Amino acid sequence: MPWSRITQSHAAHDGDRIITYKEAIGEAIDQAMEYDPRVFAIGLDANDKFGVFGTMLNLTHKERVIGTPISENAMTGVALGAALSGLRPIMIHLRVDFMMVAMDQIVNYVAKWRYMFQGQVKVPLVIRAVIGRGWGSGAQHSGTLQSLFTHIPGLKVMMPSSPYDVKGLFLAAVKDDYPVIFIEHRWLYKNTGHVPKEMYCLPIGKGHIVRQGNRLTVVATSIAVIDTLAACKDNDLDVEVLDPRTLKPLDEELILQSVAKTGRLLVVDYDFPRCGFASEVCALVAEKGFQYLRGPVQRLTFPECSMPASGVLEKAFYPSSARIATRIREILK
Amino acid sequence: MSSEQIALPDRTNCVRLLRMMREIRQFEERIITLYPTDVMVTPVHLHIGQEAAPVGVCAHLTPADTIFFTHRTHGPALAKGLSMRKLMAELYGRTTGCSRGYGGSMHVVDPEHGMLGSSSIVGGGIAMGVGSALASKQMGRDWISVSYFGDGATDAGIFWESLNFAALKSVPVLFLCENNQLSNVMPKSEHLSVELANAAGAFMPASSVDGTDVLAVHEAAGRAIRRVREEKRPVFLECRTKRWMKHQGIERDDLPWNPVDREKDCPIRKLEQRLSEAGWMTAETIHDMARGIEKQIDDAVEFARQSPFPAEDELIREV
Ligand SMILES: Cc1ncc(C[n+]2csc(CCOP(=O)(O)OP(=O)(O)O)c2C)c(N)n1
Ligand SMILES: [Mg+2]
Repeated sequence: MPWSRITQSHAAHDGDRIITYKEAIGEAIDQAMEYDPRVFAIGLDANDKFGVFGTMLNLTHKERVIGTPISENAMTGVALGAALSGLRPIMIHLRVDFMMVAMDQIVNYVAKWRYMFQGQVKVPLVIRAVIGRGWGSGAQHSGTLQSLFTHIPGLKVMMPSSPYDVKGLFLAAVKDDYPVIFIEHRWLYKNTGHVPKEMYCLPIGKGHIVRQGNRLTVVATSIAVIDTLAACKDNDLDVEVLDPRTLKPLDEELILQSVAKTGRLLVVDYDFPRCGFASEVCALVAEKGFQYLRGPVQRLTFPECSMPASGVLEKAFYPSSARIATRIREILK
Repeated sequence: MSSEQIALPDRTNCVRLLRMMREIRQFEERIITLYPTDVMVTPVHLHIGQEAAPVGVCAHLTPADTIFFTHRTHGPALAKGLSMRKLMAELYGRTTGCSRGYGGSMHVVDPEHGMLGSSSIVGGGIAMGVGSALASKQMGRDWISVSYFGDGATDAGIFWESLNFAALKSVPVLFLCENNQLSNVMPKSEHLSVELANAAGAFMPASSVDGTDVLAVHEAAGRAIRRVREEKRPVFLECRTKRWMKHQGIERDDLPWNPVDREKDCPIRKLEQRLSEAGWMTAETIHDMARGIEKQIDDAVEFARQSPFPAEDELIREV
């Protein structure tokens, strides 16, 4: 299929059409399957009546959705084999925690195949990982783990925060001949925004400024973008909010440009702190933008522990727009 | 073997089996009443209709025997000896809960009763049961271990790898599959291509039993566990059950491929009938038993409600 014909730009927003994040990802999957018969979806409960949190209920090509047993590791090998052999699989995990069972295939195989054999075989595989947060579900059902994937060479990692981005990035991921980990926060599904009807791909590795400001750069990912925007708006903070959209490849230039302007950096990333994506962005700025800095680089992440079940502890565990606002005010004091 | 052919165990045992099944049933029913009030903020997987499996099996276990089960915890946890107070308090997210409020419904622990932690990632616990049996063998102890899982878990490679290793090393573990023919909403025919007892039989003695009949389970599990204990080897037992409730939450299941006859398939009714026929229970003594259990549950709820929540500054402990 001539995926090259799909426009790379993201010209003008379609002013008329407002749809949800959930509809946008659904539309992207539907259009990809319609456009290219090699595209198919595979995953545990991918074909059941819930349709992956409603994202895959209205597909034209339902026959190309394969439900699987609880066999995440083997199924990842199956998807990889299919990708190497000419198909373009979309693999689906209802929770990123279940995807950990497949880490052998993802880390030792999927990520390395193209490099190890120097591009003679290609891996056009997209793995959708749905993340969320606890409702007393506890440590094994509330993971995010984007940093883990970002750590592995050979994987691209996308974390779109808006309906517009989720469609454009998903199509870019399907078009791409490298494996992509595509992370969707469930709480974003109901959010609405402008989304063009036609197919379009966003460039992979380009972030964008979602709010202009002068005194601090906040780099935020996925739902943390929404929380940060709320924090800035409610408190009228003079803060620049940057959404990298893809964690890898990372738009280093945009981050450095912004910090050059503001002189300060806070990274808000809902994942564990150690060796995390937030640490990575801080390292980038410390290495390449030290001269711009007027204060220490800062991180706001999960604390260094697993997710607890009890409500009080859950509340203490998860960052929020209120906590982001407090942190920003401290920095700007 | 069908239930009519099975001789009743002695009276005390029979009453115990009934009491335990009722404790699980009534505990779950109390959850159904309380859940809408949001006092329990944790996803629950109820055991209603499947009580015969955990009760018939755990009747043969000592507190020292270990057991590893998955997300559907309440049945096997209570049957293995977890107190209602500790389980209820865990559902309420209190410090007096079995996991001090850190675990929630799916993650329970009670080392004193051989429960070394349940996992909500399907499959992993199966291997842990084998490891525990290996420990018993290496340390020269006489307790055994139970890997307790659903039919869905047998999809996973780790199930087959665990069967193989347990057979290779001949460790004293019972593989107990509570087969409700469902993996979430998927019927067994869509997720598993073999009959489990046949396939497991390639590795070890394996059998299958009507899991809605506690006497049948009790007898089959007794036989299986005796072999595990005496011959110090793995054995596989499948209990064929029916899930009455939705996979998760407090609603009745309504999948067309999961027809449930709540009278005929009820393990509690079945046993009560046998016991009435034998003259060991009457409508009145059953009623008294049920009332006693309600009081016990009242006590557990009160205990949970009076217990403190963890403090915010206790978030980072035991890391
Ligand atoms: C590795 C993994 N994949 C998927 C899930 C989601 N999940 C939770 S329970 C379940 C079905 C399990 O079925 P079964 O093992 O038969 O147990 P049952 O719920 O019937 O008691 C699934 C798919 C999970 N918890 N872990
Ligand atoms: Mg099942």
